[in-house]
Amino acid sequence: MLAATKVDVAVFGASAVIVLAGAIGVVISANPVHAALSLVMTLFGVAVLFVAQEAHFLAAVQVIVYAGAIVVLFLFVIMLLGVDRRENVAREELRGQRPIAFLLGIATIAEFVLLTRGTSWVTGAESVVGPASGPGANVETLARSLFTRYLLAFEITSVLLVIAVVGAVVLARRPPPERPEEPEPLAVPERLHTPQLDDAAPVPATEVPAP
Amino acid sequence: MSAFLRGYLSVLVFGFAAVAMVGAMLGAGRLLRPSRPQPQKYIAYESGVDPVGTGWSQSQVRYYIFALLFVMFDVEAVFIFPWAIRLEALGIFGLVEMLIFIVILALGLVYAWRKGVLRWV
Amino acid sequence: MHAVLAAAQTLKAPDLDYFALAPEIVLTAVLVGILLLDVFVDETRKYLVTQVAGLGLLVSLVPVVALAANGADRSMLGGAYVVDNFALLVKALFLATGYVVLLMSSDYIGEGDYYEGEYSFLLLSSLLGMMVMGSSRDLITIFVALELLSIPAYLLAGWRKRDLRSNEACLKYYLLGVLASAVMLYGMSLIFGATGSTVLRTIGREVGGSVGEEPIVTLGIFFIVVGFAFKVSAVPFHFWAPDTYEGAPTPVTAFLSVASKAAGFVALLQLVYIGFFGREEVWGPLFWVLAALTMTVGNLVALRQTNVVRMLAYSSVAQAGYILVPFAVAGSNPAANATAQTAALVYLLIYAAMNLGAFAIVMAVARKTRSAEISSYGGLFTYAPGLTLLMSVFLFSLAGIPPLAGWFAKLYIFESALDAGTAAAVTLAVVAGLNAVIALFYYSAVAKEMWMRPVPDGDTTPIPVPPALAAALAFTAIVVVAVGVYPQAFARLGDLAQLTLR
Repeated sequence: MLAATKVDVAVFGASAVIVLAGAIGVVISANPVHAALSLVMTLFGVAVLFVAQEAHFLAAVQVIVYAGAIVVLFLFVIMLLGVDRRENVAREELRGQRPIAFLLGIATIAEFVLLTRGTSWVTGAESVVGPASGPGANVETLARSLFTRYLLAFEITSVLLVIAVVGAVVLARRPPPERPEEPEPLAVPERLHTPQLDDAAPVPATEVPAP
Repeated sequence: MSAFLRGYLSVLVFGFAAVAMVGAMLGAGRLLRPSRPQPQKYIAYESGVDPVGTGWSQSQVRYYIFALLFVMFDVEAVFIFPWAIRLEALGIFGLVEMLIFIVILALGLVYAWRKGVLRWV
Repeated sequence: MHAVLAAAQTLKAPDLDYFALAPEIVLTAVLVGILLLDVFVDETRKYLVTQVAGLGLLVSLVPVVALAANGADRSMLGGAYVVDNFALLVKALFLATGYVVLLMSSDYIGEGDYYEGEYSFLLLSSLLGMMVMGSSRDLITIFVALELLSIPAYLLAGWRKRDLRSNEACLKYYLLGVLASAVMLYGMSLIFGATGSTVLRTIGREVGGSVGEEPIVTLGIFFIVVGFAFKVSAVPFHFWAPDTYEGAPTPVTAFLSVASKAAGFVALLQLVYIGFFGREEVWGPLFWVLAALTMTVGNLVALRQTNVVRMLAYSSVAQAGYILVPFAVAGSNPAANATAQTAALVYLLIYAAMNLGAFAIVMAVARKTRSAEISSYGGLFTYAPGLTLLMSVFLFSLAGIPPLAGWFAKLYIFESALDAGTAAAVTLAVVAGLNAVIALFYYSAVAKEMWMRPVPDGDTTPIPVPPALAAALAFTAIVVVAVGVYPQAFARLGDLAQLTLR
């Protein structure tokens, strides 16, 4: 097993800090958009960890799909729900929920420390497998397993993606009106000729015609 | 330092260069321009028209379908990359399997198109 | 440059046994067909989609039967996909369940303001996931199959878009479902990390050896079992079940409580009997606790329900507890393990028939009364004697009363526990016996309401049962009665479909 070099440790330390800072940001941000952006930070940190393990393709996918697409989807959903309504995070929905969550969290960490200490091969050192051989070989190996052992799983993934589209259309689409409806009253735009920027009161959100 | 990390050193250098360049340009602009603050200058720019409401207002659920279609084809691209990199090596078999994959996915697009969600009414 | 040249070798295509894959290929073709049909037929002829879907299910059953007649075990993709008797039996179960659910829902969906074409598409894609699950002997294939069967189910639970209860059903099911998937996936990654393989057979060999001693393996097994405990709604992971079952459209509830649950158990059977068999001391006690809690809590809470669907929801939680009993005793000795597998399989098959039947009656009655309260069943015998008789058959079968199929299923469960012969197994058998007595109370409460109480609103016009629903009722009733009278044939099926260990 390769010993972890100083650079490896430095890379791991830096990205671990980024990952954890992002994760804490997700939990403590009062504004959901900030939470989603903190998530991007975490995902980038994880991508760096993947790079340190020489899993370049995985790192690229992490950035393209998770940081790119999935978080964009999150932001869409947050904007659909309306970010102008702040949630009161200070109130507990269930009594005693937080202390119990805290205790369970501590118990989980203790469990992990205990179990990983008992397992000799969890060292956090750099991957010994490395890139299989030559440039692009990781992707090559991936393609091979995709088209051999995991062929079936790969093919039914396409059905899974189609289901996602069908589901989104069914749940989000308004059925076409049978007869031409009366034109919906347009929301009268509030013209901001003299914006009062120092006005602390939140501006009420413009009513979007409800679908 | 391992060779592959040295490869990423250029990424790091490039990142620093980008930050430095943007910082230098904005900093120079700040030093050179006159400063006359007016409230109108702080309005969000929306195609030259006066903005309607706030930037934080609720958006239409219909945008969601576009976002989801984007994710779907993003994931499809991830599966296509390994195949495209070793196109010849995977041969006819790989081509056929990939075609099945893409055709089934294209059905999702046909469905969305026929249901009229791609048209903004 | 050597490496690049070596990499440029053409990929050797895996040996695909198209005969063995035929049921899945047919079903996928049907899926594509009905999606296109739905897109291109106009609104008034959407019923065609349902008809094609039903026909497609029957056509997919043909290769399943042909493969069963052929009898050879087929393994492909490096052991990741196996078509043996076990796989064929559960595939037949899923297809039959899917067909009955389609029969039950054709009028329900056609009459309501629902998306008819998409309904069939999602139902069939969920079934495709279940079919793949029956043959998956590999962690990744199991996971993808699980997602394929769950995601359409989440959507179907929320099919009544304008009903808040249905929205709640969908959301609860979805959130807890993905939480379970995440926990399970974490467990799978730990197992993969420890054993270096995703193929269950290899995992079984490693876990049985020195790698199995690693604490990480224990954690992995624990997480995977907990993840599936959510899926099969075992206590204490059952919270979503009653609300989801009550809020979802009734045919979807029937589908969730039978097919979706059966798929969870199929995955557990494969994981436990092939993958984790060497670590009986980890999952044995876990299943013991799950089984005892699930039976007891399910039955006790079912006693207090006033709504038939909620009562059936808790009853199906309790029934999952009975199916968990063989898992708890499986590792004790070779004889017990064979009986345990058969017991779990036989119970799944019989449970499917009787539970689907009970839900079909609930749907038929709700067509007239528009209610699922137990009190609305008062005097059902006076105006719908046929439905009353059938409902009593299904309820007493669920309770395990002798000449009906449910009795035989329970008998097998007890036999597996007694075969194991350990103190823990016998204790569990006693718990199961006590629970069977408790269950009798709430099943017979509904029967009493139907046979003896007066009609609540005095309206005794007969209930019109549409032909599709009647066919579903007839099919399930025949299975329940025939298996009860002639159980040996069924036990034989279960014995034939043993998973081979190595």
